[in-house]
Amino acid sequence: MLDRFLIAFWTVMVFGSIAWYGYLLFHVGIKGGWDIARMIRVLSGQGGENQSPGPKGQ
Amino acid sequence: MFFAAIDFTLAPIDWIIIVVYLIGCVAAGVWMRRYVRNVDDFAVAGREMDLNLGVASLAATEVGIVTVMYTAENGFKNGLAGATPGLLACIMMLIVGMTGFVIVPMRNAGVMTIPELFEKRFGKHVRWLAGVVVILGGVLNMGIFLRLGGDFLMFVAGLDPAAKFHIDLAGVSFNLGMIEAMMTGLLLLVLLYTVLGGMLSVLITDYLQFLVMGAGLVVTSVLVIWNVGWSNLIDGLWQAHTSGVKLLDTSIPGTTTEVTMAHPFNPIAAFGWGWVTWQAMTSIAIVTTWQTTIARVLAARNADTAKSIYRRTSFYYVGRFGLPGIWGIGAFLYFWHQGGLPEGMGSLTAMPAFLHTILGPGLLGLVIAAMLAAEMSTDSGYLLTWATVIYNDIISPCLRKPLSPRAKLLTVRLMVLLIGVFLVFYGLWYQLPGAAWDYLAVTGNIYLASLFTLLVAALYWPGAHSWGAVAAIVLGAIGPVTFLIVNAIVEKQNQISPEIAGWSAFGLAFAGMIVGSLVGRTVSKGRSAGTTTS
Repeated sequence: MLDRFLIAFWTVMVFGSIAWYGYLLFHVGIKGGWDIARMIRVLSGQGGENQSPGPKGQ
Repeated sequence: MFFAAIDFTLAPIDWIIIVVYLIGCVAAGVWMRRYVRNVDDFAVAGREMDLNLGVASLAATEVGIVTVMYTAENGFKNGLAGATPGLLACIMMLIVGMTGFVIVPMRNAGVMTIPELFEKRFGKHVRWLAGVVVILGGVLNMGIFLRLGGDFLMFVAGLDPAAKFHIDLAGVSFNLGMIEAMMTGLLLLVLLYTVLGGMLSVLITDYLQFLVMGAGLVVTSVLVIWNVGWSNLIDGLWQAHTSGVKLLDTSIPGTTTEVTMAHPFNPIAAFGWGWVTWQAMTSIAIVTTWQTTIARVLAARNADTAKSIYRRTSFYYVGRFGLPGIWGIGAFLYFWHQGGLPEGMGSLTAMPAFLHTILGPGLLGLVIAAMLAAEMSTDSGYLLTWATVIYNDIISPCLRKPLSPRAKLLTVRLMVLLIGVFLVFYGLWYQLPGAAWDYLAVTGNIYLASLFTLLVAALYWPGAHSWGAVAAIVLGAIGPVTFLIVNAIVEKQNQISPEIAGWSAFGLAFAGMIVGSLVGRTVSKGRSAGTTTS
């Protein structure tokens, strides 16, 4: 009885993990890209606000 | 010999995937160098990391080839029960993400490393001592990454891990091992972008690595289940356990170790209460004090973002152990039905050799790129974290005059390089005394037990005293260090079990903190009373 429960439990965990990884791949993949764009904008802007030299090449 | 039987060919499409990935990743990392102006940008990305980038970075850093290797080994030896540490880590991440336990006060303190927090509470000497212990545990822990990563890549590509090649340089001949050369080259690429761009490069490359690695993990797991069949996998595990199947591990020359399948579904039957409770304790300590995890908390925009990162990443930990565990189970069943492990193969290397048999052109390239991604993201994150601790908590407190921002940056970059050099030498010759996960957990415990005790006491126990802090650090390191030394010397039957070493570390650290604080406070009161009287 316990073994049957544990098999069902691990089955849910394994297939749930595959689904969760697949979901994260798309969700975090898209939104993480936006986060990077925002972070780079802020880091570029800091240079101007602080009157310090901007990123090399700018 | 197994390797002679393998038709080793990486198809052009495999090479294209691998080369495009490597060039793209290194180029993106090096490009971020332009945004680094000071140590804050270099070490914590100017504290501008947002939620989804944090999830990607944490997930990428926490899954390296070494993770895939030891979690697959757990599956190979213990079936689905081998994923228990991942389940426990998931529960602990969720609890911390919901309550903010430790991480909220830590993020609000505005520190760059954990030992820095200790200076505010216990004084400079505790910060320095904690920094030393963090480095000792962290760098030893990282020491086996390259070797295991190299083993994986060689076996999955169907190459002989003992293969050597010959080069002549200015009339001097060298015989170089393929693994050593390959992993040194990979480490040089990682060093290139980590030294130049610090956390900013790490975040960007982690993001790319998260995408490649995630795709590789999902595709490979589906493929393994497709090949073996889920009901065959469950039935096979049960049969292997009940019939006492023995596979012979001959990975260490001159020794043969029997590998049997423990109870494949029940963690208590497979490992015992001592191991499971130690893992639960280690998990809560890891998610609150492991510097590479905490680095994402400290780089988060605010405490709420840090909590969200924990909640969103929690279930990821189940798959971190569960999915490569399935690959290990597939390897066990495959080699069992093949009549046993080939000569020179063991519980760690069976999984990549098994994957080589089921992956076709294109998929092999994807999996190799995914595992390169996993290795690079972990190495870069760890290199940066430990280098920051060395500068921030070991060098900086000893300086009479603060370094200029330029000298600070140069020092941290130099530390990254030095750790890289250490890894090449230590990482490529160290022979594991037992299971990879146990080695990692025990070396991690050198600092996990003491720092967890210090952190909880510093944040939640007003009576904690610096004497208790010093006692906790020293006593907490004794158990794991004894484990490493004794197990390297004595015969297998006399070796210390990892759960005893691990629990003793926590027990001694707690006892040290309580007793040391009580004694320290009594002495302090006595001194102040004496001063008042006189």
